[in-house]
Amino acid sequence: MRGLVYVAIALGLTIVFGMLRLVNFAHGAFYAIGAYVGLVVAEHYGLAAGLIVAPLAVALFAVVLDRTLLRFFYDRDPTAQILVTFGIAIVVEESLRLIFGGTTRSYPVPAALSTSVNLGFTLYPAYRLCFAVGIVVIVLAVWVFLQRTNFGLIVRASIRDRTMVQLLGGNVDLASTTIFALGAGLAGLAGAAASPIYSVDPNTGFSFLVPSFVVVVIGGLGSFWGAVLGGLLVGELQSVTTLVFPAASDVVIYIAMALVLLIRPSGLLGESEVIRG
Amino acid sequence: MTVAGELRFYGLTILGLILFPFLIHPIGGYGGLATEVLIVGIGSVGFNLLLGYAGLLSYGQAMFYGVGAYVALLTVSRFFPDHPNFWLALALGVAFVTLMAFVIGMLVVRLYGIYFSLLTLAFAQMFFFIVFKWRDLTQGDDGLQGITVPAMGLGPWSIDLTTPFPALNLGPFGDLSDLHYWYAFAALVTLAVLAFMRALVRSQFGEVLGAIRDNEERSALIGFDPRRYKVAAFVIAGALTGLSGALRGLYDTSIAPDALTVETSGNFVIYTVIGGVKTLFGPLVGTGLIMYLQNVLSAKTDAWRLIEGLIFVAVIVFLPGGILGARRKSARAELAKAVSAKAGP
Repeated sequence: MRGLVYVAIALGLTIVFGMLRLVNFAHGAFYAIGAYVGLVVAEHYGLAAGLIVAPLAVALFAVVLDRTLLRFFYDRDPTAQILVTFGIAIVVEESLRLIFGGTTRSYPVPAALSTSVNLGFTLYPAYRLCFAVGIVVIVLAVWVFLQRTNFGLIVRASIRDRTMVQLLGGNVDLASTTIFALGAGLAGLAGAAASPIYSVDPNTGFSFLVPSFVVVVIGGLGSFWGAVLGGLLVGELQSVTTLVFPAASDVVIYIAMALVLLIRPSGLLGESEVIRG
Repeated sequence: MTVAGELRFYGLTILGLILFPFLIHPIGGYGGLATEVLIVGIGSVGFNLLLGYAGLLSYGQAMFYGVGAYVALLTVSRFFPDHPNFWLALALGVAFVTLMAFVIGMLVVRLYGIYFSLLTLAFAQMFFFIVFKWRDLTQGDDGLQGITVPAMGLGPWSIDLTTPFPALNLGPFGDLSDLHYWYAFAALVTLAVLAFMRALVRSQFGEVLGAIRDNEERSALIGFDPRRYKVAAFVIAGALTGLSGALRGLYDTSIAPDALTVETSGNFVIYTVIGGVKTLFGPLVGTGLIMYLQNVLSAKTDAWRLIEGLIFVAVIVFLPGGILGARRKSARAELAKAVSAKAGP
């Protein structure tokens, strides 16, 4: 289950890295903003409204951030990008703490979905089932968007050769910003959708960010299906270890991450680009 | 390296270390804070060798800091409870971390840029969860609390570092008895670390490290093995961060797994970047500024960490060289102006 949440967060992280070459330490903050916005909207207008408003709000926030601050960092070295997004993450986390307080909050699962569904072999909570189906739909939608639309073509071409796409008249800046907003929106949606399952507190951003890095690294930084595979693998790895050797259930994913980085830094499904500088 | 230059460095540094705890008193600082700033600052100064001089952004310094503290405290409480020795605790803490940094360093220097940062992060998380889960040894999330730290043996003497200095009223700058012997010890170690770091970055080692940061391939072709230099930098930075952690553990007589979190690793990054990478005193200044905000401002407003984050972002955007880096840059710009004026028609 947690694996699916990782998939949703990691997907945004990986497409942003693929398009912008930006390692976004603020991605967890997007998840947290989505969770809080979703929470507030859902309390007044129901969960469905929260699920619509949260990703849009986070995407808007991301666009503003991109246009005002991050675009100055596209050409800086990756270290500076990590630092500035890390700074943004702190500012967001602390702002959330000031606005919503430091306590843990959660939103109850809507009554209509709080039953269980009989899947034949097991009983599964209905909300979690909807969540899982939703993630699958979204993954496919994003994939179709990137693979089957003209816009997606510009995005994919820009990853290969930015200058050439610009020369051919493709609007690379617009594509970059859109991808950044899309990635952020996905994180925001995941945050809003997961708040009935996992409670939210201001630290939520970082506590989901770090495992998401594990997922993206294992799958391959910038790889679309890598993020999906990585998310599911990490979720499974944690579940299995919890059964076999509970004390190691947290440490095992970092061991996996280190092994992947050392043996195959481009990840399981990443293209074996030259990893330097 | 002129005699005058040496005298100036030692004179001003010693003067600064003596005045520091008193100068922060009127703005709400106190002796304990001054001591903590120096102890943590030692780790930042060491980390700067990695981030500033070698250009390697480690996101895992917390593992060296935390493990240094745990090993030092376990030495007196668990490993040698019958003959607790201050120096042994410090030495074992640093030695263990040095070994750890060597093994991890050999692995991480194979990677570059973000991959390097992410791998150090992964290792730090491993150590966090090992410390967190190994309850028999580390007491898990309770941490080691109220450890009896022995007095510091020095030849025939035995010095209890928690002894306050004699009372002496200094008006607006507080009272001398606000300081414990711990401050004097931390100041001596800080002085030694600064002198070591100053010599190191001026040595051939420092030059080569800078050359590798700027162009690794070229350095390799000239005949310097980049990995050996990077491992060395990683080990020295790790050892100094471990020293910082061991001192902190012995000073606090306690340590909790929080010391190994991503947040602690991030703090070393924040301190060093705000103060100024590639400057000798920058990391110390950054550590002082942010720890001051944490300790003094937090009593007044809940927004202190927001302010910290905003300062951090502002520094990255407007002062990429940090507080001290900006000063040096403007000095360099003036020098360039003066030179070009002379060379002009």
